Amino acid sequence: MARVATPTAFDAIDPARRLRNLALTLAAIGVGVLVLWGLESVGSAKLTQALALFAVWGVATVSLNLINGTLGILSLGHHGFMLIGGYTTGLLILDEAARQRILTSARSTMTEQTLGISVANLLQSVGLDGLTTPETLWARYLIAIFLGGLLAAVAGLVVGIPSLRLRGDYLAIVTFGFGEIIRLTASTRLFSAYTNGALGFPGVTSEFGKSVWWTFGVLAFTVFVISKLKYSSYGRAMQAIREDEIAAQAMGVNVAYHKVLGFVISAFFAGVAGGLWVSWLGGVRLDFFLFQLTFFFLVAISAGGTGSITGVLLGTALVVFVRQYGDPLEESYAIRTWLYLAAGVLALAAAGAFAFRSLRRLRPRLHWGTLVLAGTAALAALVAAIDPAFLEGSFRGFGMRAIFLSVLLIVIMVFRPEGMIGRAEFSWAALLREQRTGPTDEERAQDAWLSNPKLNAGGAGPRDDAGPPDDAGPARDEGGR
Amino acid sequence: MTVPRSPTAAPWRRALPWLVVLTLVALAVARMVYLGSVGERFNAAFFTRALIDSIKLGSLYALIALGYTMVYGIIRLINFAHGEVFMIGAFTPYFLFTLTPYAWPAALVMALILAYGLLRVVELFRGSMRDPVVLGVAAVGFVGLAFALASWSWPFWAALVGSMLATAVLGLSIDRMAYVPLRTAPRNSLLITAIAVSFLLQNVGLLAFTNRQTPFRPDTPLTAPVSLDVGGVAVQTNWLLVAIPVITLVLVVALTSFVNRTRLGKAMRASAQDAEVAQMMGVSVDKVIATTFLLGSLLAAAGGAMWGLNFGSLNQPAIMGILPGIKAFAAAVIGGIGSLPGAVIGALIIGFSENFLTALFPRTPTFLGITEFKDTFAFVLLIVVLLVKPSGIVGEDLSEKV
Repeated sequence: MARVATPTAFDAIDPARRLRNLALTLAAIGVGVLVLWGLESVGSAKLTQALALFAVWGVATVSLNLINGTLGILSLGHHGFMLIGGYTTGLLILDEAARQRILTSARSTMTEQTLGISVANLLQSVGLDGLTTPETLWARYLIAIFLGGLLAAVAGLVVGIPSLRLRGDYLAIVTFGFGEIIRLTASTRLFSAYTNGALGFPGVTSEFGKSVWWTFGVLAFTVFVISKLKYSSYGRAMQAIREDEIAAQAMGVNVAYHKVLGFVISAFFAGVAGGLWVSWLGGVRLDFFLFQLTFFFLVAISAGGTGSITGVLLGTALVVFVRQYGDPLEESYAIRTWLYLAAGVLALAAAGAFAFRSLRRLRPRLHWGTLVLAGTAALAALVAAIDPAFLEGSFRGFGMRAIFLSVLLIVIMVFRPEGMIGRAEFSWAALLREQRTGPTDEERAQDAWLSNPKLNAGGAGPRDDAGPPDDAGPARDEGGR
Repeated sequence: MTVPRSPTAAPWRRALPWLVVLTLVALAVARMVYLGSVGERFNAAFFTRALIDSIKLGSLYALIALGYTMVYGIIRLINFAHGEVFMIGAFTPYFLFTLTPYAWPAALVMALILAYGLLRVVELFRGSMRDPVVLGVAAVGFVGLAFALASWSWPFWAALVGSMLATAVLGLSIDRMAYVPLRTAPRNSLLITAIAVSFLLQNVGLLAFTNRQTPFRPDTPLTAPVSLDVGGVAVQTNWLLVAIPVITLVLVVALTSFVNRTRLGKAMRASAQDAEVAQMMGVSVDKVIATTFLLGSLLAAAGGAMWGLNFGSLNQPAIMGILPGIKAFAAAVIGGIGSLPGAVIGALIIGFSENFLTALFPRTPTFLGITEFKDTFAFVLLIVVLLVKPSGIVGEDLSEKV
């Protein structure tokens, strides 16, 4: 996995240290590339697929995190943006014969003339019609996912505008509504010349979406752009909006501009993720873009740490792992096996509750709810051991992975709403457990602002603790604001 | 929960809603007359059928929307899981009227779960688990349910009542397990939890029921066919035409009088206005919230059973609840969230827009028709109402202040 060090509050201004961090980052990227290469050549096809899916969903979660984490708006319409990017990419990457099949499909009672957009003309005008040989396919794909992203960004603009008037859960439900409107509209006859209705179309090449190089390349680009954005003045403005919209407005942050900008950039990358996703799947169908997708991203973001790119990638890894390697859970087993499994889960829950109450020093440590859990576990194990006649037959664990993920999300929200690592980001200084030695970028900017003579003639100069980097020492933590 | 209209409002403002309704009716009549002159298909029966469907669907949405509006009115939570509660409320009667009597072990396990739920419900209102009433109700409930499930083939009305009770217990447990620990958490966390609960129930539904359509045809006189004579053309329908609106009306009236006439209802209204102050005045807000979930789930279960009757089948659990649920939420917002009559009005608007509007703009050789878009109407209306008048038609102003 490529790691990108981003400046955090722990990063010192010391140029030597900066150089070292850069070297470490480059080395980490190199190691990441080597590991990826090793996994790709040694590992199974399933592993490669899982890795590629991690990167594809990583693009989506990192972009969703820009709205949900950095901007602090709960957005539930990401599947809609991905749908736009996915269908666009799919349509532009299809070969001529497959496209004609959509047009002549029985469901396509509408022609391209209805909406007046001909895909052939579009391909010609962006110069994609020439790129038909396998050697030039990559260029075509690259342009296609870019165009998909742009189209999704336009949708992001449309969705972002209500965000100026609404807040909180109303805004969340409106983004959800937009996502569903996009999905429901794409299946109508009006667009069937492009989407082939709800059936969609197969035959999107998997050459890119299942290649770790392509997907991780796009992921690295996304993480680079979004982390740069997060630590730019734009990102700080967005975080100010997240903390307190009215205060941010009072401090001169252009709330409307930054909100819409966040939506547009996030939607762009969601569209790109959609383009990778259809390529990973090898086709386009309406039910590849259900609300479920956004839900999985939400689990990833909340599990990792809302607002932290590092955390979001960790959460994505978890969700992708469950999705790709949890399929044994969904197979058919004897009811007896399920009873043992249920007993195990209940016993674990009881043990967890006991440990939780002990750690938090809650009395009584053995709450009667814990006893009920343990008792039920024992009962289930007992029944399974006796194996009475009515336990004949087997049972298919259909939907177990989703159940696991939703229970996980509820548990996270109740016990650790900040997720695995909260808002912390990966940084070399934190990894090496370094002390801070100087002011951070943010503090330096503040100092520069405070020492501006025009701003305040006789008043506050630079803060008294803004000494040279080396004498400040650890005591800085208490100083200042 | 509603704010009375100010008597000082200008007369034309008070007449405005009626003017809007009258204009819409006039436009619809004009359009119907025009369509009738264009196509043979668009006769009185065509529009009567659309009207009947609109009223039935609107009533069903109203039953779901009331749960949304009550919960939002008090804890400001879009209870995403309410659609799934409705789904469970639709599947439970199916399992009661088709599969009873159950085998003894299954009946015992189910009775145990339900009796435990009953125990917690009664405990909540009596205050203590050691109360003889609580223990008595739970014991009688357990024995009665176990016998009823194991030896009685449930008729539809009993399945409906049983499902309402079971779903009420479910709604209450959702509140206890998922929402109570988050009472003081940020609202976004609460909403995410609600989405997670909704997903959990969808997939538990898939696991427990099926991933195909389930036929829902109980033996009940409500589905006996009725033939209406409209302008010389026969319209085939059934008694649900009367039953659904009447049952809805009875439940809505019962709910409204509960909220307006009882002590607990007064506490609900107080908590809706200001939960914190209500708490200080001695209202047990937790009890009030639990009541809200209980009543909302009760109504949603009734809606679910009648939904099944109306359509003759139930969709697979993953999509059965979410769309009606979110449309009902849209209805609650359109009517004015927090207001009981608002939810009913909004639900009727959604019902009419889905059936009557599509009948007014049907597919013709020259026009695509809007039937395919009918699922998006609720969302479009929701977005428009939120942007233009977030307080809805009759609701109070909930815009956030500093």
